[in-house]
Amino acid sequence: MTTGSSSRERRPDGAALVIAAILAGLAVVIFWQTSQMRLPPLQQRVGPTVFPYVIASGLVLLAIGTVVSAMRGSFPERSKDDYAPIFWIIGGLVGQIMLLSVAGFSIATGVLFACTAKAFGRGPIWQTALIGAVFSFVVWFIFAKGLQLSLPAGPLERLLTTGSF
Amino acid sequence: MNKLLLAALVTGALFTPALAADYTIMAPAGPGGGWDQTARTMQDAMQTEGISGNVQVTNVPGAGGTIGLAQFATQENGNPNALIVGGYVMVGAILTNMSPVSLDNVTPIARLTGEAVALVVPANSDIMTVDDLVAKLKADTGAVAWAGGSAGGVDHIAAGLIAKAVGLDPTQVNYIAYSGGGEALAAILGGQVTVGVSGVSEFASQIEAGELRLLAVSTDTRVPGFDAPTLMEAGVDVAVQNWRMVAAAPGITDEQKAAITADVKAMATSATWKTALETKGWVDTYLDGDAFAAQLAADTEATEAILKDIGLVQ
Amino acid sequence: METFDLLAQGLISALQVHNLIYALIGVTLGTAVGVLPGIGPALTVALLLPVTYKLDPAGSLIMFAGIYYGGMYGGSTTSILLNTPGESASIVTALEGNKMARQGRGGPALATAAIGSFVAGLLATLGLAFIAPFVVKFALAFGPWDYFALMVLAFVTVSAAFGDSALRGLTALFIGLGLGLIGIDLQTGQTRLAFGIMDLLDGIEVTTMAVALFAIGETLKTASDRDQVNAEVTAVKGSVWMTLEDWKRSWAAWLRGTFIGFPIGAMPAGGADVASFLSYSAEKSFSKKPEEFGHGAIEGVAGPEAANNASAAGTLVPLLTLGLPTTATAAIMLAGFQQFGLQPGPLLFANNAPLVWALIASLLVANFMLLVLNLPLIGLWVRLLTIPKHWLYAGILTFATLGTLGANGAMSMGFGPVRISFELVLLLAFGVLGYLLRRFGYPIAPVVVGLILGPMAEQQLRRALAISQGDLLVLVQSPVSIVLYVVAIVAVGLPVIMRMRGKGGVLSQLATDED
Repeated sequence: MTTGSSSRERRPDGAALVIAAILAGLAVVIFWQTSQMRLPPLQQRVGPTVFPYVIASGLVLLAIGTVVSAMRGSFPERSKDDYAPIFWIIGGLVGQIMLLSVAGFSIATGVLFACTAKAFGRGPIWQTALIGAVFSFVVWFIFAKGLQLSLPAGPLERLLTTGSF
Repeated sequence: MNKLLLAALVTGALFTPALAADYTIMAPAGPGGGWDQTARTMQDAMQTEGISGNVQVTNVPGAGGTIGLAQFATQENGNPNALIVGGYVMVGAILTNMSPVSLDNVTPIARLTGEAVALVVPANSDIMTVDDLVAKLKADTGAVAWAGGSAGGVDHIAAGLIAKAVGLDPTQVNYIAYSGGGEALAAILGGQVTVGVSGVSEFASQIEAGELRLLAVSTDTRVPGFDAPTLMEAGVDVAVQNWRMVAAAPGITDEQKAAITADVKAMATSATWKTALETKGWVDTYLDGDAFAAQLAADTEATEAILKDIGLVQ
Repeated sequence: METFDLLAQGLISALQVHNLIYALIGVTLGTAVGVLPGIGPALTVALLLPVTYKLDPAGSLIMFAGIYYGGMYGGSTTSILLNTPGESASIVTALEGNKMARQGRGGPALATAAIGSFVAGLLATLGLAFIAPFVVKFALAFGPWDYFALMVLAFVTVSAAFGDSALRGLTALFIGLGLGLIGIDLQTGQTRLAFGIMDLLDGIEVTTMAVALFAIGETLKTASDRDQVNAEVTAVKGSVWMTLEDWKRSWAAWLRGTFIGFPIGAMPAGGADVASFLSYSAEKSFSKKPEEFGHGAIEGVAGPEAANNASAAGTLVPLLTLGLPTTATAAIMLAGFQQFGLQPGPLLFANNAPLVWALIASLLVANFMLLVLNLPLIGLWVRLLTIPKHWLYAGILTFATLGTLGANGAMSMGFGPVRISFELVLLLAFGVLGYLLRRFGYPIAPVVVGLILGPMAEQQLRRALAISQGDLLVLVQSPVSIVLYVVAIVAVGLPVIMRMRGKGGVLSQLATDED
């Protein structure tokens, strides 16, 4: 996140500039998508495009405001964050999403459980994954069987409830 | 390509349900709504009457049922145990959402229930009859504000059909959408809009209390318990009802279809189902076989035509 | 005295065994989640929504309300003993409460918070019962133009209330508004910003968004923040009872807090955090011992705790009578009503009077339960704070994904043989958003409020203009809308004036404490 700024005492906040760019990007997407809309020939004094344009304009103004704020360095102090745990948790969520349809709720959520525990420094993975899978199965059983929630079942759930895959 | 096919077969094998569930009914809506209640009432009736030992209900909400429909059509192909609940709203939603999957991609089995659309005005309105309303519409179409459910739904379609039937341009109808008839109620009672148009049940208690005047109902026969003409009787050539149906998966054999139809018919004529209809205030409009197929085709065609006329579909 | 009759009938209904059980479950869960750092009442109600749709609507709503009240009680415990507020409304409590705990006066601090919450909850719930019917009578005649003015007021106050950074408050609000555009437009049936994804046609699910921002976002922030991983629980030492002196100093503060909190919650204005801040500065100026502030002044706990509970009850006024949610929890509760086919608003009082009054009466009952749960059993709740973080957050994420899957988890997207749930992808994406918002000091609530109120405001504006056939004057022709716009202007002006009079100091102090 280099900004290539000139002032030395008051370095603009690089991250804040990135936020400004994201806000501006959002505005562009809304403008562009809205301009592509087909408008039905209805009796509409204020059609479905007015609000998107207003909100996109607001985002542009806020992006400008964020740039100004970044230049003045008036963003609050940030704590030093450790990124490794974040990757563990995101990895756990992605793993769960990918595994759900094939492996079922308990195994997929066991993976998420283990990754989250790992992010907070608890291992080893094989042990927490096992605990997580058992915990998730109990939860699955209560909610899917007891409360009729539609939750994905996999080989483990079928094996334990019907006795076959 | 072969690898992909193999992988699909393997997962398919993993997913073939164990023989425990006789039927899985998909409600293409969130828990609690009309389609969900229909599916769960069917589940209850089928199990209680011993038509099926084990019935599961799954919810796939979204976009007027088209999300559930698309998933059902692609994932359940050839599965004789899968059913989906749907309704008239789906017909419109398929068109307005440009859904890649339509009712042609599933096997409709039977119509189960139906509800008339009611045309109401506040008690203090100077509109006494449908003729008065038509006169107002003809004087200045845009000055008559209609309040009803979401755009492209059965309420909106009824408003458009009425305008068209009396020779007006449906795009000029000043239709104000609410997320349901109940939500539109405050605007109708407060006289902020001219006329309300939504399911009879949404207005029933206010009609009975004398706060709303029922001008007409949209079905081809009168609704028992309500003293109001049908639109046809009032001289407007419109008949439309908000029906609910059940469909089976695409790609099933004729024998399988006949077996499912027999099960659904047994369910729909059972005492459990009839009692449930009464407590929920649903009207039994059971129709199956060729008669239903013809009705469905006619409804789809008419809906597509009016949605084009209103301008919601190109 | 119609209100008395209705309330009495509501009480009879609330005292039925099954409703008492729902209330007890609600307040117990609410206290637990309030105590646990990182999960608040909004998240808990959001997670419970999909599991309750088969239960009795009245019971479920009573439970949700119990969670809301319980969360407000429980939040103070964390602030006082851990110095990490469980929810934003307890930030102020941490200022004095944690100082008291460190001086070995944790017991009295917890007691004044609990009794203050009780007094405020009781008075404010009665306030709700007596004010609501008037608002309803008034609101029945509200047109779309009046509702639109109301939303404008809500936007202004929700974003302007966020301390010294209106820029970050507004940015959060606009992110919510932008996300609210996604989906089918109700008035024309046209699709907006769905990028051809079927799952987006119905827009972003409020519960998915709330669960992501609160549960996933908070988990990511806590895991990554080295300072927070090892926060220390201050043990409760010394007498747990309040001395006579404590009582003398507390009672007026409780009442003042209630009178500050209730109107702020009841107006479509900022949430409980604004109320607790205002109460804190009021106590500081009323106190005979202002020098104790910052070193453990009991008024600084009593007042803000009363204020935040009173404002929680106040929030239910616009929610029940107008269908207008002004806090994240209220927004989720609105979704809860809609799940049962109930639309909060003036007609709810006409069509579902028994349910509404049972709900209000059960709040009184819940309040008594909470006093019992919180005073003698406080030690039990404190133990919750000793659950190791790795199990706690792993469990939270399990339930967060379970709730999302149960509500909207269809495996609607596929890559070859692997099918994935788009809703979970959204959950992950918004979770990361929630982390980033926290990391850069943006408030979370305006995102949720914007997501809900944005589409409502748009629909009301377009309805107003459709009815008037395009005449913009319709927006300022009713007395109600004129009054609301005037209030909105005052609400913008007031913080500016306050800052000029030098009271912005506490505001900015709060903003830094939050990080």
